[in-house]
Amino acid sequence: MIVKLIKSRGMRRFSRNRLAMFSLAVIIVYFLTAIAVMLGAVSRDDTKERVGPNRLPGFLEPIGAEKRYDFDKWWVSELTNVFERAARENARAGGDPRAVLDEFALAERTIADGSYEDLKPAFDAMTEAWHELDDVFAEQLDLDDEAFAIRDEIKELQAEGEDVADLQAELEEVEALLAELAPRAEALYQQVEANIEKLLPMPSGFAGLVYSLRTMLGTDSKGASIAAQAVYSIKIAFQVGFVTALVAVLIGTISGAAAAYFGGWVDHAVLWVVSTLSSIPYLVLLAVFVYAFQAPALAEWFNNPERPALALVPLYAAFGLTFWIGTCRVVRGEVLKIKELEYVQAATALGFGRFYILLRHIIPNTAHLMFINFSLLFIGAIKSEVILTFLGLGVKGQPSWGIMISHGADGVTNFFFWEVGAATVFMFVLVLAFNIVSDALQDAFDPKHV
Amino acid sequence: MALLQVENLVKKFPVRGGILNRIQGYVHAVSGVSFEIPEGQTLGVVGESGCGKSTLGKTVIRLYEPTDGRIVLKGKDITALGPAEMMPFRRKMQIIFQDPYSSLNPRLTINGHIKEAVRFHNIVPPGSATDDYIDEVLQKVGLRPEAKNKYPHEFSGGQRQRIGIARALCVKPDFVVADEPVSALDVSIQAQVLNLLSDLKEQFGLTMMFISHDLKVVEHFCDRILVMYLGHVVEELEADDLDQQAQHPYTKALLGANPIDDPDDRRPLVVLQGDVPSPYNPPKGCPFVTRCPVATERCRQEMPRLETKSAGHRVACFEVE
Repeated sequence: MIVKLIKSRGMRRFSRNRLAMFSLAVIIVYFLTAIAVMLGAVSRDDTKERVGPNRLPGFLEPIGAEKRYDFDKWWVSELTNVFERAARENARAGGDPRAVLDEFALAERTIADGSYEDLKPAFDAMTEAWHELDDVFAEQLDLDDEAFAIRDEIKELQAEGEDVADLQAELEEVEALLAELAPRAEALYQQVEANIEKLLPMPSGFAGLVYSLRTMLGTDSKGASIAAQAVYSIKIAFQVGFVTALVAVLIGTISGAAAAYFGGWVDHAVLWVVSTLSSIPYLVLLAVFVYAFQAPALAEWFNNPERPALALVPLYAAFGLTFWIGTCRVVRGEVLKIKELEYVQAATALGFGRFYILLRHIIPNTAHLMFINFSLLFIGAIKSEVILTFLGLGVKGQPSWGIMISHGADGVTNFFFWEVGAATVFMFVLVLAFNIVSDALQDAFDPKHV
Repeated sequence: MALLQVENLVKKFPVRGGILNRIQGYVHAVSGVSFEIPEGQTLGVVGESGCGKSTLGKTVIRLYEPTDGRIVLKGKDITALGPAEMMPFRRKMQIIFQDPYSSLNPRLTINGHIKEAVRFHNIVPPGSATDDYIDEVLQKVGLRPEAKNKYPHEFSGGQRQRIGIARALCVKPDFVVADEPVSALDVSIQAQVLNLLSDLKEQFGLTMMFISHDLKVVEHFCDRILVMYLGHVVEELEADDLDQQAQHPYTKALLGANPIDDPDDRRPLVVLQGDVPSPYNPPKGCPFVTRCPVATERCRQEMPRLETKSAGHRVACFEVE
C-alpha cells in the first residue's frame, strides 16, 4: 500500500510542489532532531544543568554596564567560593586542592589545568582587581546618583526661573569625574574578565563548540541553557503530536466508520458523543481531562518523577479523547458515501461478514483522510500542548516550549527575549511547515482535483 | 421446476423527514412483481431509468431487504433468512454491476478481489492451488493472468467489467443478476462483453436476470422479457415475440423509440409525453396512465392486473384484447 501511495498520482503532484517539499525537509530535520534527542543527544539533565550565570544574554541580546557588573560578580563569587574551599584543603595536611577545583564545572567549562599554586596568582589578581572594581563601581553609582539629583534640582530651579549656573558647574564636575572613572572601570573589567578567562578558559575543540551552542541563546533564570531546552522540547512536541494524532485518528476513523456503516443505534451513540463533546469549549474540556489525572490515585502513577515516561500520559489521554471528533465526522461522511458504492454491495453479495467488509473494503478507502487528519492533528496537538503548558496544565518537570514561554514572559520587556523567542520560533517553523505540507497533501490527494 | 421464483415482491424505501425524523412516506420502488426463471434461462428486465429494475435485481439476491413477497431459490424460501442461514445461498446468487469504476475496490488488486471470494467460499478444494484457479477464471473472462497483481485503476472500463464478471463467476453461482452490465461501456466494447457473457452463460449453465434499458440488447440476449414501469410489471413475453406480439402501449412506445436499421420499414411512432411520475407519489390507477395514449377513465380509477393473453404472454392493460 505504501509503495502504491508513493507511486500514486497524488504523490507526484505533491512532489512537484516546491514549497511543500522544502517544508517537508524542515519537518524531517525536526524529526531527526527529535530522534537524536530521544537517543540522548540532549538529555533531560542537560536542560537543567547550570551553564553560566542566571539570565546570561544570548545572541543579539545587549549587555548593559550594570548587567556586566552582575555577571562578573557572579563569576567572581563562584570562583572565590571554589578557591576558598581549595585553600582550606591546601592548608590541611595531605589535602588535594586540585580535586576541589576539578569538582567545579559549568557543563563543558572547567577550571584551567595546573596545580592550585599555579592558579593562585591569577585568582589573587582577579580578586584584587575585583575589589578595586567594586569600589570604582560603587563610586560610579554614587556619582550617577549625584548627577541625577543635580539634574533634578536644575530642572526644578529652572521652572522657578532661578539662576542655575552654580549647579551647572557642579554637574559638569561630576560628569568629568564619571568620565574619568569610565576608562578605569573598563580596564578593571578587562582585568577581571581576563583572569576569569584564565581560571575558567573557554573549552576548545568540540567541547567548545558544544558549549558555545549551549550558551548561544543565553540561560534562563536558573542558569540553564535555553538552547538545550528549546531543542529538547522538540522531542516533547513530537511525542505529544505523534501519540495524540495517532490515537485520535484511530478512534476517529473507527468510530466514524462504524457509525456510518452500521447506522442505527451505533450511529446515534457516536453522533451523541461527538455533538456533546463538540458543544463543550475545547480548552476547558482538555483542562478537565488533565485535572482528572491529578486525582490522587492517578497522580501517584502519572505525576511520579520515578516514571518520567508516564508523565505525558494525561496529555495524550486528554488530546486523544478530544481530538478524534473532527476525524470522526469527516470519516463518517466519507463512509456514508463509500458504503453505497458497488464494490461494497459486491462484497455483501459474496456473503462477507460486516466487520470484514468494514475493515477490508471501507476503512482502507478512507486512508487519504486519515493521512490528512493525522498531519492536521499533529500540529493541533503541539499547539495545544504549548497553550496548556503555558497555563500550567500540561507538561511538568520536563522542558517544553510552553514552560519556556511562561517563564520567559517577564524577561521580554528587558530585552531578554530568547527564552520566549526560541520557543516561539521553534514552534512557529514547525507548525508552519506542517501546515504547508498538510495543505499540499490535501490538494494533492483530494479526489476532486485529480 | 423453476430455479428462481419470485412472488408478489414489494420493496418500499421509507422517506424520513421533519424534526423528529419520522417516516413521511415511501418510495415505491418495486410494487408486487412476480416471475419465475427456469434453470438455464435468461430473463430480461427492461424499462426506463428509475422504474425499479435495479432495485428488483438487488432485492431478488437480498442486497436489499424485501418489504413483502417471497423469493424462492431452488425450492427454498430465502426471503427472511438471517445472515448465517443466507450464507450458502450468497454463493449461489451473484451480481454483475453497471458501473465498472465503482464496482471494484481501488485499494485491492485483481488477485485480492478474486482470492478473497474463492477463499471465503472454499471454492478450491484444500490442497490444490488457489492461484491456478484464479488464473483459469481470469482467462475465461479474457484477461491475461499476469495482470492479476494490478490495481483496478490500471484497467480500462471494458477490462474492469470483465474483472467484475470474473468476481461474480469465480464462486460458481447458479444464478446471476446482470445489472445493466454494458450500459456504461462503448458500443464496440458492449458487443465484446455481451458475447463474453453469452459464452460464459453456456459454459457455466447459468441462469440469469439481465437488466437493461436497451430493448435490442435484451431481445438478443434473453429468453423471456419483463417490461417494467414505475415498479410494476406491465408486460411479460417471450423475447422472440417482442417485435410482433408486444401489446402494452408502453412496450410499443419503447419499441417505437428504438431506431430501425431499415429505411423502408416504417411503423407508427408513439412518442411519450411528459415524465415518469414520482414513485413517492404514484398514480392511483394504472401506473402508466399519465402518459398513455389510449388511457380511459377506468385506467385512472383501477389498477389493471397482469392477465395471460396467450401462452407465456401476460399484459397489464384494460385496452388490449
